[in-house]
Amino acid sequence: MKLDNMFKKPSVSSGKKGKRPEVPEGLLRKCNKCGRAIIAEDVRREFYICPKCGGYFRVHAYRRIEMVTDEGTFEEWDRELKCGNPIEYRGYEDKLAGLRDKTGLEEAVITGKAEICGSPAVIGVCDGRFLMASMGEAVGEKITRAVERATEECLPVVLFACSGGARMQEGIFSLMQMAKTSAALKRHSDAGLLYISVLTDPTTGGVTASFAMLGDVILAEPKALIGFAGPRVIEQTIRQKLPKGFQRSEFLLKHGFIDGIVERPKLKDTLSKILKLHARDIKLQEEEPRQHEKSIKHQESTLSQQVSIVMGGEPDAWSRVLLSRKTERPAGIDYIEEMFTDFVECCGDRCFADDRAIIGGVARFRGLPVTVIAQVKGRDTRENLACNFGMPLPEGYRKALRLMRQAEKFHRPVICFVDTPGAFCGIEAEERGQGESIARSLYEMSGLKVPVLSIIIGEGGSGGALALAVADEVWMLENSVYSVLSPEGFASILWKDSSKAKEAAEVMKLTAADLKEMGIVEKVFSEPENYTAENLEETAALLTREIERFLAEYGRKSPEELTARRYDRFRRL
Amino acid sequence: MIKKILIANRGEIAVRIIRACREMGIESVAVYSEADSEALHAKLADEAVCIGPAAPSESYLSMDRIISAAVVTGADAIHPGFGFLSENSRFAKLCEKCKITFIGPGAEVIAKLGNKQEARNTMMAAGVPVIPGSQKPVYKAEEGEKAAAQIGYPVMIKAALGGGGKGMRAAETSKEFKKCFDTAQQEAQNAFGDGMMYVEHLIQSPRHIEFQILADSYGNVIHLGERDCSIQRNHQKLIEESPSAELSEELRQKMGEAAVKAAKAAHYVNAGTIEFLLEKDGSFYFMEMNTRIQVEHPVTEWVTGMDLIKEQIRIASGRKLSCRQEDIQLSGHSIECRINAESPDKGFRPSPGTVKDMHLPGGKGIRIDSAIYSGYTIPPYYDSMIAKLSVWARNRSEAIRKMRSALGEVIIEGVDTNVDYQYEILNHPEYISGNIDIDFIENMKR
Repeated sequence: MKLDNMFKKPSVSSGKKGKRPEVPEGLLRKCNKCGRAIIAEDVRREFYICPKCGGYFRVHAYRRIEMVTDEGTFEEWDRELKCGNPIEYRGYEDKLAGLRDKTGLEEAVITGKAEICGSPAVIGVCDGRFLMASMGEAVGEKITRAVERATEECLPVVLFACSGGARMQEGIFSLMQMAKTSAALKRHSDAGLLYISVLTDPTTGGVTASFAMLGDVILAEPKALIGFAGPRVIEQTIRQKLPKGFQRSEFLLKHGFIDGIVERPKLKDTLSKILKLHARDIKLQEEEPRQHEKSIKHQESTLSQQVSIVMGGEPDAWSRVLLSRKTERPAGIDYIEEMFTDFVECCGDRCFADDRAIIGGVARFRGLPVTVIAQVKGRDTRENLACNFGMPLPEGYRKALRLMRQAEKFHRPVICFVDTPGAFCGIEAEERGQGESIARSLYEMSGLKVPVLSIIIGEGGSGGALALAVADEVWMLENSVYSVLSPEGFASILWKDSSKAKEAAEVMKLTAADLKEMGIVEKVFSEPENYTAENLEETAALLTREIERFLAEYGRKSPEELTARRYDRFRRL
Repeated sequence: MIKKILIANRGEIAVRIIRACREMGIESVAVYSEADSEALHAKLADEAVCIGPAAPSESYLSMDRIISAAVVTGADAIHPGFGFLSENSRFAKLCEKCKITFIGPGAEVIAKLGNKQEARNTMMAAGVPVIPGSQKPVYKAEEGEKAAAQIGYPVMIKAALGGGGKGMRAAETSKEFKKCFDTAQQEAQNAFGDGMMYVEHLIQSPRHIEFQILADSYGNVIHLGERDCSIQRNHQKLIEESPSAELSEELRQKMGEAAVKAAKAAHYVNAGTIEFLLEKDGSFYFMEMNTRIQVEHPVTEWVTGMDLIKEQIRIASGRKLSCRQEDIQLSGHSIECRINAESPDKGFRPSPGTVKDMHLPGGKGIRIDSAIYSGYTIPPYYDSMIAKLSVWARNRSEAIRKMRSALGEVIIEGVDTNVDYQYEILNHPEYISGNIDIDFIENMKR
């Protein structure tokens, strides 16, 4: 049955008209991403994110400060600082005066000091309403002054970048701001202080090519446009259509230029976590009564911590090779989850890509901030494709090295989990210098002025493993292996027959026990039968206790003593 | 007086409101989603505006679209019905800002009563008995467990912004608390986007008794007696009746007074419902206040002779209540059965589809509120309730007989319904005896 126009309309009572509804000014606004009408209040409440499409609105500087700092803690600096008209560009003063009237801002950046969840920091926020937050003398000067004052007061700096680049109206003076701000940040960094850069939409030109890209940690908001040359300029120059997602945050993450993408609602917490991880004078927490205590005792009574070399029924070398390769074995990430807290992953080598075969970041070990780096193996094909079956590319080693240098800057110990069949063997690896990247790691690690510990948890495949194992101590798990080459490769090179891998494994002396005896590694840790992430707890407890000892012992040594010992450790081999 | 009402709802309640408008000489505007272009409410209203795709978030829950529809059609009032935006204080506020009369209480009152913790506090302060429960909102299982230990097991875990049984779990012992809490919170997070929970003592097998109240803008509040909604499956009401077989005149007066006190304490305006749990020993506790018209309002209309939707419109137009408490006399007995398009044999799975043919009962004391018609396709996106069958007779046993007869006459072809299931309940000896509580359905299964 169709009901169209079937019903009779009853008469409507007469009398004066009812009041007309009307939408007051400013109640609704249009999302510039999806074009739909949205309630302005919803946008404000939801961190200026479109409730319909999830697109991010640009945020005014003071709103941003409200969003990320503790209420009432912001103290603005240099509010009245203004620039002149250095190249006497016609109409510039009028333009600025008009903008000041319209926006209530004196210039395109707001700087000052505030607390973020209780952590004090110097903060600077660009405001895109003011000439697209382009950097002229005033912006450069305000940022420079803020950074200088942060250096003086030993405070971290957090800058929110959003800019069209250099301010054309100020000519060459605007170009000089790039050098000025960068130089101030260099001094700040040399003083051992933390700089977090947050890239928001859009960050381009001279700002990208100066302070925005110099953070110890660089975060970005999702889908923000970040680049040096603007996409339109590139398109016009090369006469090609740019791919989708080009120069967006996700593109930069993939290409290794940012540490991570943080959604706006989580930004304050993330900043606070990073700031707290970089607070000064954090000590290793005193030993507290631990839940693991019981299991450790149990372990000690049933298994000796350092495994004796040969016992009846012990697996042979080849079996251990197979055990070390088992996909069920706990992977680096499992140890990070079990033994560390507050892990903040830092991505990218700042050159080419973010290699998922090595992950790293800052975390706490018993309260103490440490840099933790782990080679990654997947548990299934999908994961393995993502992490290239645990075979790092040069960018992986360059990322690891970048994080180690940062650890040195912030006086954090470095803990590496080694688990790789070997560095990736392929055209792209050679093109980007696989050999150079490994060599550079060995070279730099030998001189790191902080304690370095490496733990081989699975396969220790050749140079690909050594690149994370130039350490003060190297430990192994009972069924991990460490060798110059895979047994298959060894058999193939020496005996021209890769099927003799089993025999090769026996003569290569690649088991933990062999290596311990030969003095290549310091400690061997027992592991339960059928070792998986499920029964990781006991081994992790043993490791935790020994890492505590390691950090306490090596934490006391001077940088000279550390590097001298590390030099000797390899010198004698 | 209101001239033109936009009905921000669908289904039978939208039809019910449009009918009231038609009778009152008020113009009506229906809004409908793309899935509802053939729906009765869209056909019956004077005007109809399509407001978006089938998904409720894109249509019936989309505040800006509904407001835009009201502005475009020049509607000076919005009736939100039940569900969707009916208890959304932000929507009420938005209407206010756009000079549209929201037919219901003010935004602040909705917000205050919508937050269960705050509602409890208001009631406690007014001396209305409440169920012993957590004093503060609970966000973590550990906090909840502490509160539960103080209150005493068994406990009920509830979403602070909840309703309709979502985000609710009972925990018998401390052992199962965490699991129950986490599931309830997850559900709350999904349904209401908020994980604020609270914990209260679980009253064993109470009756669900609610009082209908009416309040005007001049401080006059009356109650229209109770509804017994104890027949529930998974916290969803199935059968409601008025009066309750359990209430003595004395208890009715006591609870009614408490309901009026509660409404006054909340500075309530318009029609609302105070839900109580009634224990076997006659003690009762305030559970929550629903700040909207209820699904089961017809039973109250039957026994009081009032038209609640018209009363709502009059109150929203600024009129004083037309009667005083002493004018309200409950007469006879009314029962309502909710008819859902669902398959009781398949775990009550919704059964959307096309109604090929249908026959509905009629006659003295029988009322149908429905939005289905022959050839109508029930879309799968919304609530599965397709009709309400209500009856009135001089007493309960006569009403039961009338309901059985009426249910026996219902024919809906093309989709599965719960009519036979309802028929079974109406023939259950415990139901007939009036000895019912909220565990009735659970016990019937055994």
